[in-house]
Amino acid sequence: MIFRNLIFFLIIFLCGCGQKDRVYQYKDYIFGTIIDIKIYGETENKSKQITNLIFDDFQRLHNYLHPWEKSLISDMNHAISTGKSFTIDDAEIIRVLKENTELSQKTDNFFNPAMGKLIALWGFHEDNIKQSIPSSSVIKDFVTNMPLMEDLTITNNTVSSKNKKFQLDLGGYAKGYALDRAKIILQNNNIKNALVNIGGNIIAIGMRGDRNWIVGIQHPRKPSAIASINLLPGWSIGTSGDYQRYFMMNEKRYSHLINPISGFPSANSQSTTILIPPSKNSGVLSDVYSKPLFIAPTEMKIEIAKKLNIKYFMIIQNDEKILISNEMNKVIKWIDLKDEKGITVY
Amino acid sequence: MKKVLPFIKTIKLGDVLIIFMLMGLIIFIINKSWNTPIGQYLKIEKNNEPPKIISLNQIKEEKIAGLLGDSNISIVDGKARFSKAPCTKKYCIHQGWINKVNQTIVCLPNQITISITDGSESYDSVNY
Amino acid sequence: MVVRVMTPLTIKTTTEDHFIAKLAAIAIVLSIIEFFLPSPIPGVKPGIANIIILYTLVKFNLQTAVWVSLIRVFVSSILVGSLMAPTFFLSLFGAISSLIFLFIFQKLPKKYFSVISLGIIAAFGHILGQFFIARIWIIPHDSIFNLLPLFLISSLIFGVLSGFITNTLLEHKTNRLPN
Repeated sequence: MIFRNLIFFLIIFLCGCGQKDRVYQYKDYIFGTIIDIKIYGETENKSKQITNLIFDDFQRLHNYLHPWEKSLISDMNHAISTGKSFTIDDAEIIRVLKENTELSQKTDNFFNPAMGKLIALWGFHEDNIKQSIPSSSVIKDFVTNMPLMEDLTITNNTVSSKNKKFQLDLGGYAKGYALDRAKIILQNNNIKNALVNIGGNIIAIGMRGDRNWIVGIQHPRKPSAIASINLLPGWSIGTSGDYQRYFMMNEKRYSHLINPISGFPSANSQSTTILIPPSKNSGVLSDVYSKPLFIAPTEMKIEIAKKLNIKYFMIIQNDEKILISNEMNKVIKWIDLKDEKGITVY
Repeated sequence: MKKVLPFIKTIKLGDVLIIFMLMGLIIFIINKSWNTPIGQYLKIEKNNEPPKIISLNQIKEEKIAGLLGDSNISIVDGKARFSKAPCTKKYCIHQGWINKVNQTIVCLPNQITISITDGSESYDSVNY
Repeated sequence: MVVRVMTPLTIKTTTEDHFIAKLAAIAIVLSIIEFFLPSPIPGVKPGIANIIILYTLVKFNLQTAVWVSLIRVFVSSILVGSLMAPTFFLSLFGAISSLIFLFIFQKLPKKYFSVISLGIIAAFGHILGQFFIARIWIIPHDSIFNLLPLFLISSLIFGVLSGFITNTLLEHKTNRLPN
């Protein structure tokens, strides 16, 4: 009897020797941003192979969607600016356009991908940001004729717009879209556990062994994390911040997150972070929905969060006070909190 | 080697089984420890304080105040050790250099612990 | 040991008590010698006194061995001056753990298992017990387990040796009357 117990014990031990509890990590620079993929519980070969599939798909997206480099979208923008219509033979891109229209309506146009021209005016359409402030008259003129997604007419596979100022900039959408693409590729290839980080936007697939994937949230003013959070299977996290793309002039900060109502960069927040539960377009939502929370006036932020059904959000305001939802407050783990009293929970 | 004969007479089948099982266990555990990667960061812990994490990729002498006094920690070439300690037995210094993830040296009297970590223990990725 | 409150002339000690006392004495001496040997984790020792415990177990019974073991732990601890210190608890838990393992495995068929097995099991139990306490009180990090292979190897060697020595003692002693 003891023999049997001993042998049983030994077998259990030997089964514990797994080769698959390693995490394989790959990084690449595509789409003007760093992509970081971690795969858990697969062989090195498979991890590498599937990651390459994902990188290839992103390269494809880069060629389709890049806001200012040569791409399908920039061709479309050019056609529209000359008053012409443009044919898109790709059903996926048509779907993307429609989704952007839908999302901008839902966010009361605080998410407005149609104002690429304004963003370019502020100098953000270059890899090296051109540091210039457009004249107030130019900005005013733009705001009066503010292009919106509803200005885009989509008939079958032809797009056109009466507003020549219309210029599509998917910078606030594409990373989220790429996350959803990565999710599909991983699913199709039977990879159950991975963490995909595209320019800071992250989705968690499965778990990291016997624990959840843990994500650090960047401090808006320090090169370290302000907090960390368990990212449950299928959940995504997205942040909009004034520390990513911005320039300083006369000690004032101008970020790439422009308020379509004023035409100026929104300055009431340092960063906004949201968690989105699993859904078909959760990646997109984690990218897009952080924008209205960042850009909208302070008194409207909570209302917008409710309207968009965002249960998990955190807004670090310009005065370093923090607005955080009750649900988010329960799951966030502070690493570098300056002042407990500066937190308001909703 | 005449002592070997009585030994062989004593030993029985079951004994051999147990010896092999224990050796198997030891090999398994050694395998686990050896497959630990070389770490990038040093974690310094004082009792009841949040850990301080610093990079191993530098040459530095770090002074940490503990219960008895200051302990000096040397970081050179991706390795770390206690170079000076106010304790009496200096066990911590005698442990020498560490550089593999999870390797730890404790100075009990001064209540300071240094351990190697690959930095990812706090989080897997950063959202920005 | 319980001190019976009686008039001095009527304290009766049995022969068994004598054995226990003698065996415990030897165990205590071995323990004290071991105390002065260095160890990577202060206080964690292979347990040379196990030889005596094994001998007691085979020659007499487990209950006697328990007495000898506990006396050994307490008295050597008092003599060395570490009563209630971490070393004492290491020693105590090592001894108790070792005895528990012996209790479980003492009925191993003698046809296949000699005292050597008991020696290994006792040494293994001894180290496990000590590691358990060391992990909780002395070095509260999981990294302490990096030293486990070293101690397991030493417990394997000591276990075999102590088993063999005990066996030799037992075979010799069967040729002489116990005194």
